Amino acid sequence: MSNVEIKVENIVASAAFGKSIELPKVAPALEGVEFNSENFPGLIYKLKEPKTAALIFGSGKLVCTGAKSIEDSIKAIHITVDKMRTLDPEIPKEFEIKIQNIVASANLGKTLNLEAVALDLENTEYEPEQFPGLVYRLEDPKVVLLLFGSGKVVCTGAKSFEDAQLGVEKTKERLGELDLI
Amino acid sequence: MKVDVSEIEKVETKCPECDSEKLINDHERGEIVCGACGLVIDDNLVDMGPEWRAFDHEQRDKRTRVGAPITYTIHDKGLSTMIDWRNKDIYGRDIPARNRAQWYRLRKWQRKIRISGATERNLAFALSELDRDSSRLGLPRSVREAASVVYRSAVENKLIRGRSIEGVVAASLYAACRRCNVPRTLDEIAEVSRVSKKEVGRTYRFLTRELNIKLPPTSPVDYVPRFASELSLSGEVQSKAIEIIEKAMEKGLTSGRGPTGVAAAALYIASVLLGERKTQRDVADIAGVTEVTIRNRYKELTEQLDMGVTL
Repeated sequence: MSNVEIKVENIVASAAFGKSIELPKVAPALEGVEFNSENFPGLIYKLKEPKTAALIFGSGKLVCTGAKSIEDSIKAIHITVDKMRTLDPEIPKEFEIKIQNIVASANLGKTLNLEAVALDLENTEYEPEQFPGLVYRLEDPKVVLLLFGSGKVVCTGAKSFEDAQLGVEKTKERLGELDLI
Repeated sequence: MKVDVSEIEKVETKCPECDSEKLINDHERGEIVCGACGLVIDDNLVDMGPEWRAFDHEQRDKRTRVGAPITYTIHDKGLSTMIDWRNKDIYGRDIPARNRAQWYRLRKWQRKIRISGATERNLAFALSELDRDSSRLGLPRSVREAASVVYRSAVENKLIRGRSIEGVVAASLYAACRRCNVPRTLDEIAEVSRVSKKEVGRTYRFLTRELNIKLPPTSPVDYVPRFASELSLSGEVQSKAIEIIEKAMEKGLTSGRGPTGVAAAALYIASVLLGERKTQRDVADIAGVTEVTIRNRYKELTEQLDMGVTL
């Protein structure tokens, strides 16, 4: 199988505590937290290290975005939750963390003729009037790839690093089969 | 069940015996004959045309044996009857005054009864909307029919739920224009249909995905004649612009570029080359792109195509 180096750009992970949180109660524990209930119903807490942002909702759910690796994402969630626990000890220590989305980029190293790709490749969407990239939906792994004329590729929708890697490799292989690369 | 729109227009064009596609329509005998093996595929054809001897338009109308053709642009396909507004009976005599009120009521009920049920009312509303939009865009009959077919199949596949009628109408129109090779930009469609450009694009992508409409990406060439005539540029400029675009496509310079931008830049270059210079501003306004886009495309095109011009 052809090897392509992919770079993770963003990871979105979520955690659920299973009990509701009183947002005003925990807010003072998080320095620099944003809360704008008119615009957005959750707390926005931005961490410097690892550079991530956490969204905390009253329903007891937390979403962490911006991490570049799964470890960073988990670490960020734990840092945030530990801070919140200082003011609300009822928040459980153990909870489930789930990776929701991984965005990765890669470079195929060759320019693509997107018009030809759009005609030959199945499950594609290419509307240069609306977006310069070509959208390619893969069934297995279930990811979506954006192919650009420069040969750069973005893979989104993956739940694991392996899925993203496999998605890019499969795409490259398929393009090779169709003689498009 | 999904209905593929392209199947609606497909007609049997193959001989069942020898698979030859060379079928001969013999109107004199009313037969369809296979040109390869001689098999009579269909006989007793009904001649749809009007009586053949007619000397002017009026006579031709009178000699027609059939009613108006069915059309997808009217919710009942134009097959219902209308009580017309003239107070005349079949012999052309005036209807007596004492019956006028009765006729007025009949006419009113006839109009109401044409539309049965909510689905049909929605369809009637959507199709009148479609007619309004396409009139404002000046689209020909054939495109309107195609757009109506797309809209109807969207209704059949229950794709309207949760979407605005206006949005789906605009998206159907956009798709039909592209299918008929007279593409309009999303901006143009959005302008006449009080739906945002974003919404039209989103609904269009949804429709193509759900209805399996496979349309090739629009080619910049399709925009050239329209833009050129709006800029009042000559035919030579048009063909020069098309030539430039074709060269650019060969080199893959159009990949990932908006077709309108490429068309605008090609027209601009052609106009300068042939001494009918238009300003970038004029071209940009007509094509609905910015001057910056034209300059960028123009730079790419001139550098890569060795046109040997400095403007």
